Amino acid sequence: MSTAARQAGLVEESALAASTRFMRRASCWTFWPALAKALGILAMAAIYVPLVWLAVMSFAASPLSGIPYPLTMANYAQLIGDERWVPPLRTSIWMSAIVALVCMVIATMVGRAITRMRRPGPVLLLTLLPLFVPGLTMGAALFIFLRIMMGLTLGLWSIFVAQLIWALPFSLLLVLVVASRFDLRLLEAAEDLGASPWRRFWEIEMPLLRPGILGAGIFGYLLSFNELLRSLFVRGVETTMPIYNWAMAASQQSQVPIIFSLSAIILFVTLPIMGALFWFLFVKLDRD
Amino acid sequence: MIAASARTRSHTRLAAIAARLSPARLSVPTFLAAWVFFVILPLLVIVVFSFFQVRSYRLVYELSFDTWQSLIESGRWMIALRTLRVAVTMTVIELLLAFPFALWLAKGCRSKSAKAVIITLLTIPFFLDAASRIIIWRAILGTNGMINTALMASGLVDQPVSWLLYSEFAVHFGMLGTSFPTMVFPIFIIISLIDDSYLAASDDLGASPVQTLIYVTLPMALPGILAGIIFTFVPLMAAYIEPQLLGGGFVDLLGNSVDSALQQLRYPMAAALSTVVVALLGLCLTAFTLLTRNRLDLSTIFSTLRQ
Repeated sequence: MSTAARQAGLVEESALAASTRFMRRASCWTFWPALAKALGILAMAAIYVPLVWLAVMSFAASPLSGIPYPLTMANYAQLIGDERWVPPLRTSIWMSAIVALVCMVIATMVGRAITRMRRPGPVLLLTLLPLFVPGLTMGAALFIFLRIMMGLTLGLWSIFVAQLIWALPFSLLLVLVVASRFDLRLLEAAEDLGASPWRRFWEIEMPLLRPGILGAGIFGYLLSFNELLRSLFVRGVETTMPIYNWAMAASQQSQVPIIFSLSAIILFVTLPIMGALFWFLFVKLDRD
Repeated sequence: MIAASARTRSHTRLAAIAARLSPARLSVPTFLAAWVFFVILPLLVIVVFSFFQVRSYRLVYELSFDTWQSLIESGRWMIALRTLRVAVTMTVIELLLAFPFALWLAKGCRSKSAKAVIITLLTIPFFLDAASRIIIWRAILGTNGMINTALMASGLVDQPVSWLLYSEFAVHFGMLGTSFPTMVFPIFIIISLIDDSYLAASDDLGASPVQTLIYVTLPMALPGILAGIIFTFVPLMAAYIEPQLLGGGFVDLLGNSVDSALQQLRYPMAAALSTVVVALLGLCLTAFTLLTRNRLDLSTIFSTLRQ
């Protein structure tokens, strides 16, 4: 009977009834939302407990021990006395600004072009490809290609290339979200009214794309500011902030207290800015 | 007259060529050429490079399989298997943690400000420095770290629990927070895009919530789930910071093997190990695209974005 039914492509009644009964019983269990919430909070705790602990331990006399006692400002005093972290920070700030600017320009350019293409798939896939390549693999490949194969001297320019490869796909996605909603007929109307191509772009398209372009710049800045794995291999003799932190963390020296207080300061500065930024983005997006 | 028309034709052809060569038209192809040079070419080069040799610290451009042979004979392929196991384990754990949460966040969470806060909290980790985020686990998991101090003080254990740090457990634990947002976001976005009326229709037709989940929500969320799996799995395949800082030299994954080969100037070996990463990822991505050929292609994602 059962094989005949299966051959006939029919669903077995008893099996269906059993599975329905099971599903009803599973549905009656009212703890599902609570369980989902608990799992999410657990995972978010895995992100934020270390951050809080980092801030607490930056005031501890021995940060790698388990007890934040005795509390001291010594790490911060040492940080102010030590000036080796200043040049990397300066490099990072400027480098990220340049990467963000270039991201905005290229993302706008390519994003506009993609929305006008008949088959955007290949170009889109090509530009988004770095999202599918792990950072370390990309960094090692760039190092072998540029340094060993081509014999080039690596430095700030190769750090720039590596960070751009990471930041640009995200920037492009942000521009695309806005650009794909843009109505091309607006440009035709402007053309009929006699506007030059530059004016059409600057006065019609640009103001409408501005949220996406700004988002591309902000994301580009933040992503490049914290990029480690790609720039680590192609840095030459240059050092950025994440590379400095990494060197201090990996060397297992007594420098660890300094990076604790340094990271804590960066967190105190960036977290409220990012919080305000995202809050503004979501509240504004919600209204639109 | 014929000459005149020929002149016009050549003129229009010139104009067409000029239009094609204008800076506005050229900018995108120029960018794509540069992109191919800096992204695609290095990835192809490492594949070729793994067949070269280094003799007395000098590179010999001579085809050989020595690197691959030593890779297999020295047992380094075990590292590839271990990396694959760790990456798959973590992807499964993240999926189990993230799917219910994303579902709740997209459809169950009624408070808009709670949603905004959670999304903000999930976005911020993308922009934080990895080294300092991971090294703090040493202060939490170490033999005289936070957890062991608490356990000893409460009298639950006499000796500090040593496997908490510098072990595979610690590496997994460090990855947990890092990989969570990349899994949640795609799933959350795709479930948010599912029209509530489908779920209401399923309910009206008498389906229980679990039946709605299995027959309506899951199939419609599949592209997002796959995107989440890919974006979580890819970085895990070349995880470097976690094994380096929390593995204590006991957990060799592909990421730190590539790094140590580069440190020892064994460039072909580094290239071969990177090739293994790229090949494994290529295999997984191809399998995924074949499995979801009809459900997932770029144009559907693009049209979803367009809506």
